[in-house]
Amino acid sequence: MKGITTSILPAVMVGTMVLGSSLAATAYAQDPYTVGVEASFPPWAYVEGGEFKGIAIDAMEAIAEQAGIEIEFQDMPFPSLIPALAAEKIDILATGLTVTEERSQNIDFTIPWWETNDVVLVPEDSDLNVFTAVCCGAKVGVQGGSSQQAWMEENVLNSSDIDVELAKYDNYVTAVDDMAIGRISSVIVDDTSAQEYINAGKAVKMAGKIYIRAPLALAVAKDDPQGILGDLNQGIMAIYDSGEWGKIVGEYIPGVTVPAIPGHMPDFVDTYQKPVAGLPELGNE
Amino acid sequence: MDIYDVLLRDFPFLLKGLGVAIVLLAALLAIGFLLGMAICLITLYGPKTRLVQWPLVVYERVFRGVPIIIMLFIFFYGLSGIADIPAFTAAILAMGLRSAAYQSQIFRSAFQSVPAGQMMAARAMGMSKVKAIRHIIFPQAARHAIGPWTNEFSSEIKETSLAYVIGVVELTRQAHYIITSTQGNVLTVFAVVALLYFILNRAGNSLLYAFERKLAVPGFEK
Repeated sequence: MKGITTSILPAVMVGTMVLGSSLAATAYAQDPYTVGVEASFPPWAYVEGGEFKGIAIDAMEAIAEQAGIEIEFQDMPFPSLIPALAAEKIDILATGLTVTEERSQNIDFTIPWWETNDVVLVPEDSDLNVFTAVCCGAKVGVQGGSSQQAWMEENVLNSSDIDVELAKYDNYVTAVDDMAIGRISSVIVDDTSAQEYINAGKAVKMAGKIYIRAPLALAVAKDDPQGILGDLNQGIMAIYDSGEWGKIVGEYIPGVTVPAIPGHMPDFVDTYQKPVAGLPELGNE
Repeated sequence: MDIYDVLLRDFPFLLKGLGVAIVLLAALLAIGFLLGMAICLITLYGPKTRLVQWPLVVYERVFRGVPIIIMLFIFFYGLSGIADIPAFTAAILAMGLRSAAYQSQIFRSAFQSVPAGQMMAARAMGMSKVKAIRHIIFPQAARHAIGPWTNEFSSEIKETSLAYVIGVVELTRQAHYIITSTQGNVLTVFAVVALLYFILNRAGNSLLYAFERKLAVPGFEK
């Protein structure tokens, strides 16, 4: 018995390692690229009736067809997506992902395909305006790890004496619901999502806009180990030129004005230096 | 479409999520059982040298002392340099290895609750140590272990919901899908999900209690 029991532990350990490495072998043999999405972020990506839907989903499928690559979607909570991309657990990140300087140091962005501004949402019956909603003891809801959180920390929390507390949520739906209960006084979210909540009949209104003109883009792991950045850039351009992009966006946000592609490409993003992968005529000098 | 229609339409996906949770639960409990039992037996009856005992103590302290969400991240992201394991495997390993640490303690206390005289009597009657453990100690210890083990079962069911942080689409994540695609209804959707977890928990515990009654020896220790 002693012999048996002492041999169980190493046997199990070796067993799991064999299991792990054989799974690793199959993972490398896989052809389709894994596209990481946050599927609780309408209208960019969500699940309805068991199927992935949203602008990023449909557009990604159109781009894949354009580029002749196979893709499969993998859902993950938003705060896990960038680490997953950095660890190459996923190959492409497609969600309403804002281009920021900090992120561009860890992942590589495609050309921007959308531009958002942030809005301050308050309850429908609130008399707060865009300034009072984010100052003087207000508790402001944002999604954890989002660009809105970064913006608030950089421009309000760390650079002024304004007394504001940030409440960080897993997703924006819970933040908006928490505001309805009265736990927080306002929510800062991008204008596309805000419009979605208002269209869905939530008792919220926009107190005002913060014009940050934040570009949104797809992303791949740093230094593009799979060599697909060029294909993605060309794919985005192609579906924009063919009008397919406009059609997809119009389906999810009826009546919206579609920003031109390529939009404003911030200097701090290294993949926006001339020549941009796949589109050598573009880029910052 | 109101939320009840959506719930009815998406109920198969909730059940699919429940299925994923059940597979995860079964796998992690199985790993935990085998490894936990092995650790318990080696701790109690194996060689008493430090070389054998210390790694087991360290293992048990580490896996009981680190939050499972951090273990999930370590197994999914941290180990990617060594082996590229998928999210589901990472979840089974992280939670199974942690369950082993807990279960080793459940079994240790069950084995130790059998009076030491039993082992001495068995050896005095000429049984080998292995035979004594197999036929005298284990049957009594198993009966003591079922009660605490229902605790482990119940808490692990609920912890499977944490696997969504590394991308395992189980019941809670499926519920998130309904909440975000309908822009709300947190209370209704989570009430349904809570009911599903509750039914699974009750069903499993009922089976375990039935097993406990079946094993009970009439008139013994009562």
